[in-house]
Amino acid sequence: MDINILLVDDEADFVETMTKRFRIRKLPVTSAGSGAEALKLLDQQDFDVVILDVRMPGMDGLEVLRQIRAKRPLTEVIMLTGHASLDAGMQGMNLGAYDYVLKPADFDELLDKVRRAAERKALNVSAQSRG
Amino acid sequence: MSAPNPGDSRPGGARELLSRATGARVWREHRLVLWLHFLVPPVLAILVEAATLASPGHATLLAVAVFLLAACSARGLMTSLSAAEEARNALNAQLIQSQKLAAVGELSAGIAHEINNPIAIIAQETEWATHLLTEAEKATGGDFSEVRDSLREIRSQVDRCKNITHKLLDFARKREPVLQDVDVTRLVDDMARLVDKEASYKDVTLSRSLPEDLPKLRTDAPLLRQVVLNLMTNALHAVGKGGMISVTAQADEEFMEIRVTDNGHGIPPENLDKIFNPFFTTKPPGQGTGLGLSLCHNLVQGMGGNILVESQVGRGTTFTVRLPRRLSQPA
Ligand SMILES: Nc1ncnc2c1ncn2[C@@H]1O[C@H](COP(=O)(O)OP(=O)(O)OP(=O)(O)O)[C@@H](O)[C@H]1O
Ligand SMILES: [Mg+2]
Repeated sequence: MDINILLVDDEADFVETMTKRFRIRKLPVTSAGSGAEALKLLDQQDFDVVILDVRMPGMDGLEVLRQIRAKRPLTEVIMLTGHASLDAGMQGMNLGAYDYVLKPADFDELLDKVRRAAERKALNVSAQSRG
Repeated sequence: MSAPNPGDSRPGGARELLSRATGARVWREHRLVLWLHFLVPPVLAILVEAATLASPGHATLLAVAVFLLAACSARGLMTSLSAAEEARNALNAQLIQSQKLAAVGELSAGIAHEINNPIAIIAQETEWATHLLTEAEKATGGDFSEVRDSLREIRSQVDRCKNITHKLLDFARKREPVLQDVDVTRLVDDMARLVDKEASYKDVTLSRSLPEDLPKLRTDAPLLRQVVLNLMTNALHAVGKGGMISVTAQADEEFMEIRVTDNGHGIPPENLDKIFNPFFTTKPPGQGTGLGLSLCHNLVQGMGGNILVESQVGRGTTFTVRLPRRLSQPA
C-alpha cells in the first residue's frame, strides 16, 4: 500500500534519519521544518499520515494539529513528543490525533502505527464514498 | 428476533432491558405460575367442597394449603412484576441520560462555535498589543513590564477559554467508529507511558497487567485511547502520594473488559450517578471541566459497549469498560 507521509519536525537530524528509514521501506516522506510550512504543504497536497512533533518553535504542535483536523479531517495525525506531558497528551487525543508516541520512538513501532493510521484513513475514505 | 438489525449486535443492552420492561419475557417465564393461578383454586375449591362433606378436619387442612399456595404464587407474580417495573425505570433513566447528553452536546457545540471567533480575535489583538508595546518600549525607552504582564495574563486566560471551547466542540462531535484490529495490551501500554512520568512525580505506581493471550479487539483505536487515557488521568488525580493504579483486561467469547482500578479517595454514593453528567466535577475551577467521563460514556456507547463504576470512599474506585468483541462495521 502506498502511503503519503508528511513528517513535521524542526530537528533536521531527526528528519533526515527518519526520511532515510522510510525510504528504505519504499515509503516516500515529505518533510516540513515548522507547523506553518506543514500547513502550507497540506493546502497543496493531500497526505495520508502526518507525523507531528509536539514541541516546535513558532506554532505549537497542538495548534497545528487543530488546524490540520479542520483543513483535512481525513488525514490522520500521529503526535511525537520528547517529553511525556499528560496534559498535552490528553489534548492531542481529544483533538483527534490517531496516536501519541514518545521519542525516542522505536522505528518499527512507528512504522506499524503509520500503517494503521493509513488504514484508518482508507476506511474513512471508502465509508465516505459510499455516502 | 432472527432478522439481524443493528440493535441485535449489542447483547445485554437496551434490547434485553426492553424485553424485560415490556414484560414479554416475564410472561413467558411465568406462564406456568399464571396457569396455576387460574386453574388450581377452582380445582382445590372443588376438593374442599368434597372434603367438607367427608370430614371438617381435612377440609380445614386443605383450605390452609390452598391459601398458602395462592399466597406463594401471588408473591412470585408480584416479584416479577416489580422486577419488570425496575427494569423499565432503569431503561427510562438510561434514555433520559442519553437524551440529556445529546442535548447538552448540541447546545454546547452551538455556544462553543459562537464564542470561538471572538476568542480568536481577542488572542490576535493581544498578540498585536504586545507587539506594539515592544515598539513603544524601543521608541520611548520606558518600562512597560506591568502592562506586559497583564497582556500575558490575558493571553493565558484566553488560552484557557480556547481549551474549553475545543473540548466542548470535541464533546459534541459525532464520531462513527472506524473498526480496526487493535492490540489492546499495546494500546494501554502506549497511553500508560504518557501517564508514567507524572505518576512517578507523585510517587504513584501505574501497573498494567494484561494477559499475554489477550485477543485483538475489533474497535476504534483512537477513541479507545481517549477513553483509557481519561480513566487513567482521573485515577491519577484521585490517588495521593504513593498511590496505586492498575490496569487489567480480560476477554470472553463476547466481551472484552478493560478495568482501571485506583486506591484513591473514592466517590461518595450520592455522586455516583452524577459523575457521567457533562460538567460534573469536584475539581477546583481551571483543573477540571467535568467533560472527561461524559465523553468516555459517549465514546464507549458509540462503540456498542458500556462503562461501569464501583467505588468506596477512602478505599478506591474501579472503572470497567465493557466492549463487544463482535461489532459489525456500520454501513
Ligand atoms: N478514579 C476516580 N476516583 C475518584 N473520583 C473520580 C474518579 N474519576 C472521576 N471521579 C470524579 O468524577 C468527576 C468527573 O470526572 P470527569 O473526568 O468527568 O471530569 P474531571 O476529571 O473533573 O474534569 P476533566 O476530565 O474534564 O478534566 C471528577 O471530578 C471526580 O469527582
Ligand atoms: Mg477527568
